[in-house]
Amino acid sequence: MSASTIETKALSRSYGDICALKPIDLVVPEGEWLSVMGHSGSGKSTLMNLVGGLDRPSSGSLKVGGEDLLALSEDGLARFRREFVGIIFQQHHLVPYLSAVENVMLAQYFHSTPDEAEARLALERVGLGHRLRNRPGELSGGEQQRVCIARAIINSPKLLLGDEPTGNLDHKSTIMVMELLKELRAEERFTVVMVTHNQEVAAWGDRTIYLDDGVLVREERLRS
Amino acid sequence: MSALKLLPQLLAWTALAVVLLRGCTERRRLTAFACAAGFVTGVLGIAFLARSLPATPYGVVRSLLGGSFLVLWVVSVAALYRSTGRGGSAVASARLPARSLAIGSLSFFFALTAGGICACRLPAAGGDLLPLLAPLALVLAGLALLVGALAVERRLPASLTVNFPGLLAALVALLLFSSASLLRLDLFSPLSMKVMKGTHDFVHQFMESILIPDHIFVRPAIWGYIGFLFGKEVGFWGGMVIWFTPVLLVLLAIRFELLPKVSHIRQGALRRKLLAAAMRERNLRMVIPALSLVVFAAAAYQSCYPSVEYWDPKPVLVSADAAGEILLAKKGGDLNLEDGKLHKYLYRQGGHEARFFVLLTPTGKLTVDLDACAICKPDGYGQAEGTVICYYCKTLIPLDTVGKPGGCNPVPIAFTDKNDAVHINAVTLMNEWTRTVQSTTKKEGGK
Repeated sequence: MSASTIETKALSRSYGDICALKPIDLVVPEGEWLSVMGHSGSGKSTLMNLVGGLDRPSSGSLKVGGEDLLALSEDGLARFRREFVGIIFQQHHLVPYLSAVENVMLAQYFHSTPDEAEARLALERVGLGHRLRNRPGELSGGEQQRVCIARAIINSPKLLLGDEPTGNLDHKSTIMVMELLKELRAEERFTVVMVTHNQEVAAWGDRTIYLDDGVLVREERLRS
Repeated sequence: MSALKLLPQLLAWTALAVVLLRGCTERRRLTAFACAAGFVTGVLGIAFLARSLPATPYGVVRSLLGGSFLVLWVVSVAALYRSTGRGGSAVASARLPARSLAIGSLSFFFALTAGGICACRLPAAGGDLLPLLAPLALVLAGLALLVGALAVERRLPASLTVNFPGLLAALVALLLFSSASLLRLDLFSPLSMKVMKGTHDFVHQFMESILIPDHIFVRPAIWGYIGFLFGKEVGFWGGMVIWFTPVLLVLLAIRFELLPKVSHIRQGALRRKLLAAAMRERNLRMVIPALSLVVFAAAAYQSCYPSVEYWDPKPVLVSADAAGEILLAKKGGDLNLEDGKLHKYLYRQGGHEARFFVLLTPTGKLTVDLDACAICKPDGYGQAEGTVICYYCKTLIPLDTVGKPGGCNPVPIAFTDKNDAVHINAVTLMNEWTRTVQSTTKKEGGK
């Protein structure tokens, strides 16, 4: 059995009186594609933010890639995010006045140092070799999401997090993005945690967990 | 008060110890020991020489300072050459020699010089007890500061490293800063003066070789350029170039260092991470040399605007009697012309004026001189630390040579000493002043 990328024990997160995530035990082995499903407010994004080091839990333990995130300082957490995690958002969050290649180079800059040739290659890998100098406003939703994927994988993360990455895309673009992610995962062997409430998108994963009101209610293995 | 005067030197010594310890982290204990031994030897050595010799041996310390500055020049040029990759790996060659002997010698030498500078700052021997107590107190203070430096160095971030040229630049900068407040150890002003005099000699050579055209049509323009070349600014800026170049070369050498080869690494992120780490390390290695640039600037400033209090009394207006003689009583009221201090006077006649001073030299000879020399603009003289200083070119003239003509010495004036008064011929004084000032201002292009 492969080593686990994510390991949580009684992990919970409260915001004041509201308990967004009730104590949850979860193990995600290395290289697995985990889909997280649930209605709005079920705690999906809270869970993703916690495993991505974007937020700190209220209680419980959380290890990602063997690193105890609770023991990390703010600087340590920033280093963890920089070197270990790649994130794809529903809203893309691309810098509007930078070109596609510059958006990818920005991620390189915060990780280590920019390398345009490598950024160009990453965009060519996601099929945007002809759109290098275009700004996000000049790209379609699917193309923007592919820039996000290139930006997320440019620093070779061990964990790729997707927060409704296809939420804004039409069916055709959704299929294209998911196929691309599948292909990249096969090449790079990173672990994927993808939050969605689209059953069709969740079906691309190896396993799906269902959250309801911050509680893990069900788990479904699609492929081993 | 004397202890306060030592503050810049002691601060520089502490900083020097911190830099040395950081530069030789692998042999910290040895470095600390060599520093202590060097400082004690420097202080006691100079104190011993000062007791044995008739005067404080400034020349020894000055030679050490000048030597280390020259070595810095050589090392900085070599570092820049190696940074191009021609002389082997720049990083490897710039590393500190790891041998104990090399580290010990380096630490000992710089601590010795720092100790020597501090000892030169000690007050002159005034009895039997002071010459012993003062160096001992200085040694104790120096050792206490070394302990402090050890504690400070341990608190510095581990990533703040320094290579050999950078270390040398910082050490030399601190020594030069430490010595800049001592008139007779200062290197910057003499350096500027050398540049100025070198330019003068160069221009003279050209003039004597008739390489400078002397035709009525080009003469005014030529004299304009010559006037500029003879100005104080040429010496100052020339001195600045020589002063700052080595540390700038060291910074350039670090900047030009080749980064490690990473093209064989397949994963882009790892490749960039290694490159970024190497660049960060290189940038951090520039911190200490960059700070030494500031210390070099502080030393130059200290040299140009020394905190030394010159004895420079306001000239007293005098007049000539019917026989054309200026009479100055040697004693009267608070006045005593034979107290060994400068006594400045101003004589006016027909819209012209001449400044002069009376001084009793340490050899007991009374002398009357113009407040100007035959070389520089007549900016006058001040008196400090057993010397008079030319305000224009910052040349120090020992008191016992005042009254002798030549060079930057004040121009001596004939006088007679009779009936407890100094008699100066007013016409001779005015003629001498006019002749001197005319010749020096002509070189300045009529400034």
